[in-house]
Amino acid sequence: MSAFENIYTQVQVWPEKPELGVAGVPVEREKGALFNYLAGVVGNAQIGPIYLGTLGVLSALCGFIAIEIIGLNMWASVHWSPIEFVRQLPWLALEPPKPECGLCVLAPLNEGGWWQMAGFFLTMSILLWWWRMYRRAKVLGLGTHVAWAFASAIWLFLVLGFIRPLLMGHWSEAVPFGIFPHLDWTAAFSIRYGNLFYNPFHMLSIAFLYGSAVLFAMHGATILAVGRYGGEREVEQMIDRGTAAERAALFWRWTMGFNATMESIHRWAWWFAVLVPFTGGIGILLTGTVVDNWYLWGIQHGIAPAYPHLWPPVIDPAATGAVQ
Amino acid sequence: MKLAAAFLGVVIASLLTIAMLFTAGWVRPPILSTQVGFRGLAMNQLTTPAARSKLELANALPEAVPPAEPGGPLAVDTYKNVKVLTDLTTVQFNTLMAAITTWVAPNEGCGYCHNTDNLADDGIYAKTVARRMIQMTRHVNKDWKAHVANTGVVCWTCHRGNPVPANVWTNGMGWPQAGGFATTNYGMGHPDAANGSTAMTQDPYTALNDKSVIRVQATKALPANSNGASIFATEQTYSLMIAMSQGLGVNCVFCHNSREFGQWPESTPQRLTAWHGIQMVRDLNGAYLDPLKTVLPASRLGPLGDAPKLNCATCHQGANKPLLGVSLAKDYPELGGTPAK
Amino acid sequence: MAMLNFEKRYRVRGGTLTGGDLFDFWFGPFYVGFFGVTTLIFTLLGVAMIVYGAAIGPTWNVWQINIAPPDLKYGLALAPLKEGGLWQIITVCAIGAFVSWALRQAEIARKLGMAYHVPIAFSFAIFAYISLVVIRPVLMGAWGFGFPYGIISHLDWVSNTGYQYLHFHYNPAHMIAITFFFTNALALSMHGGLILSASNPPKGDRLRETEYEDTFFRDAIGYSVGTLGIHRLGMFLAVSAAFWSAVCILLSGPFWTHGWPEWWNWWLNLPIWR
Repeated sequence: MSAFENIYTQVQVWPEKPELGVAGVPVEREKGALFNYLAGVVGNAQIGPIYLGTLGVLSALCGFIAIEIIGLNMWASVHWSPIEFVRQLPWLALEPPKPECGLCVLAPLNEGGWWQMAGFFLTMSILLWWWRMYRRAKVLGLGTHVAWAFASAIWLFLVLGFIRPLLMGHWSEAVPFGIFPHLDWTAAFSIRYGNLFYNPFHMLSIAFLYGSAVLFAMHGATILAVGRYGGEREVEQMIDRGTAAERAALFWRWTMGFNATMESIHRWAWWFAVLVPFTGGIGILLTGTVVDNWYLWGIQHGIAPAYPHLWPPVIDPAATGAVQ
Repeated sequence: MKLAAAFLGVVIASLLTIAMLFTAGWVRPPILSTQVGFRGLAMNQLTTPAARSKLELANALPEAVPPAEPGGPLAVDTYKNVKVLTDLTTVQFNTLMAAITTWVAPNEGCGYCHNTDNLADDGIYAKTVARRMIQMTRHVNKDWKAHVANTGVVCWTCHRGNPVPANVWTNGMGWPQAGGFATTNYGMGHPDAANGSTAMTQDPYTALNDKSVIRVQATKALPANSNGASIFATEQTYSLMIAMSQGLGVNCVFCHNSREFGQWPESTPQRLTAWHGIQMVRDLNGAYLDPLKTVLPASRLGPLGDAPKLNCATCHQGANKPLLGVSLAKDYPELGGTPAK
Repeated sequence: MAMLNFEKRYRVRGGTLTGGDLFDFWFGPFYVGFFGVTTLIFTLLGVAMIVYGAAIGPTWNVWQINIAPPDLKYGLALAPLKEGGLWQIITVCAIGAFVSWALRQAEIARKLGMAYHVPIAFSFAIFAYISLVVIRPVLMGAWGFGFPYGIISHLDWVSNTGYQYLHFHYNPAHMIAITFFFTNALALSMHGGLILSASNPPKGDRLRETEYEDTFFRDAIGYSVGTLGIHRLGMFLAVSAAFWSAVCILLSGPFWTHGWPEWWNWWLNLPIWR
């Protein structure tokens, strides 16, 4: 059983000098690379060099400002106590403006103004980073698939924090910054809008999320299992099919009667991953704007099962009186 | 240096893991469960034998006071300054006084409320409070049967031997903040016993002292006239519901089918009882507890100067039926309880 | 077109897990094998039970069909067929079919001279399923804790099970599982995107090699995990998502009965804050 099982890299061979990148690209890469043993156990041992560039620096700067605004406000919310800052960190929040603010352009700083600023800088940072991803691909003569996949995630981010609040007419509909606060928001959002599980686009998004896990498990495992035949050289295998590609294809053909190819599996992968935030964003965008209660929507469309009643019907005690 | 940092990291991680494993309060099977809804709907209540016996211990009954013999002169003729218990005989009156001492001030005795040199004297504020509380108890037993049914309440239901019940609330200051132009977060973002260690509002009970709207879900599928609330209001309600759950020692699906919290036909009959409970607590806080702020000394008031008020935990104390459903009130018609027949 | 043009030389008999050559043949594109037959039997029986369950139920509406587990009162015993017994049979069939499928994958991997990563990865998904319908119900003392088989009814189960713990997002293992799911989708999009971008350069441009892939991610985020590494990472993220999902539900109930937010009190009450 001493076969090549491809769990981790047992023997690492490090070149004397790090690979500094492909030639013929305008930027000179001379330093900023190092080797790390632990990274080499899983994948490449080489870390760096990273490209900064104008877009990268601006993006990092905007990101830094956003994190500073969020972090300092959180710290202020425990009266600058360093101990409480660490202790309560997962609970600490930077909340959006109150409902009364509507779409006010600049809310009072202590009531959502900082949230607006942090949101602005974070959005700038992300958009600049997107541009940077696009540019890096172009410069290297690659397709821009990674950037467009990233755009799908940005779509969800913008829907949650900008587009939907805009349509609803309230910044208060947006997500707060904070670890547990954004979880509270998520739960409250589902409760308020009548159970997100009944939102068909939420269903799709989750299906693609789980599907992405299934796909990556299948694809990752297949490539590792044919690693002994050089299966990880995927682009080469596309144009010059070797036994690795043949075995990988036959494995799934024999298992489920259908196989992808070395190229098409990556199209499946890209679409599944991209559709997670894309469909999710649609689901969020429709919530409150087009549908206000997904359960009742589900009842209207006949998807909600009726469970046998185990007790006499419960009637709203306030049905005749005031709403509580 | 690198090694020392790695070592330190491992030590800290191990200590945290140990703390997490041994202080989080994990339980283990067997688990006691009660099914509420249709099979497979997961409307279940869970507890453990240990938690169950702890609850039973916490709800042990007080020493019984022998019931009053009928007949005899009215207390109002025997004693001076009897203002509330005017309908009781002297024997009933004395029986009740003895019971109240056991229930509310077992260690402090009569002197907690009374000037022992002159029992008729109204000098001690606690006596004024006690009068109001007796009126409140009678009001509950008479007018709030929708919530307390014939089980009723007595002083012990809330007090359990403490002059001030263990579970009362006042308006909070929230976590001390830097103030100025730093974010307020409207009182959110800090874990607290009241919000059940979530990051939602630290003051979930305010809706129990005013008429603010608790219902948040849209009542129609589409947005026109669907009465939905803001996300902010939803989190207020959510934390109130978490506080209720903890007070009653139940989870959300005791009352709700969570697939649709707002729908009454999807809810259990318990939700009806709970709804009347909220109305009752609002009534009692507004009419009896909050006005006591003028009577109570400053040390008894909250940081914002309001009187201690009721929530669900005040009576329930972690049991979905206070005292696990035992009716003490039936033995005390003096407090308006419904006698067992 | 049952066979690919290179397929014939791979279709070699022998090398089965069970030994011998029982069912050692192909049917169309499918390999059959002993475990293919067991998969088929379990699947047919299970699907038949589901259809029967739907037939005796109130609806043929595919969203509303619900085959629910027994009442809690039956504990770990067998329940009457129409009151959860069907659910029990379907569960046995499902586990039988899933495990057979994994063994079949192992057999095919063996025939193709591949390592066993795929059946190992699949076994994590099976573990998550078995956690939900066997391990947790056994720990809790009743089959009734399993989830019902139905498109919407299983969502209602998830909702109610979550709200038994007041706010399920505070379950630490659930947090870890979700983080793995999201990271997995992120890594998948990055890997899929990168390979597509290298194999689909702008029109008229030549195909890009691995050096370009590495340079792209080093330029962009400072690290390229490499062609082999990304598949290790991807498989790790995907199986971790399944594994921690199983952990998060196994903790809920058997080892934790309160609200999950309360769980965090251990952190809030650490002696170091004093």
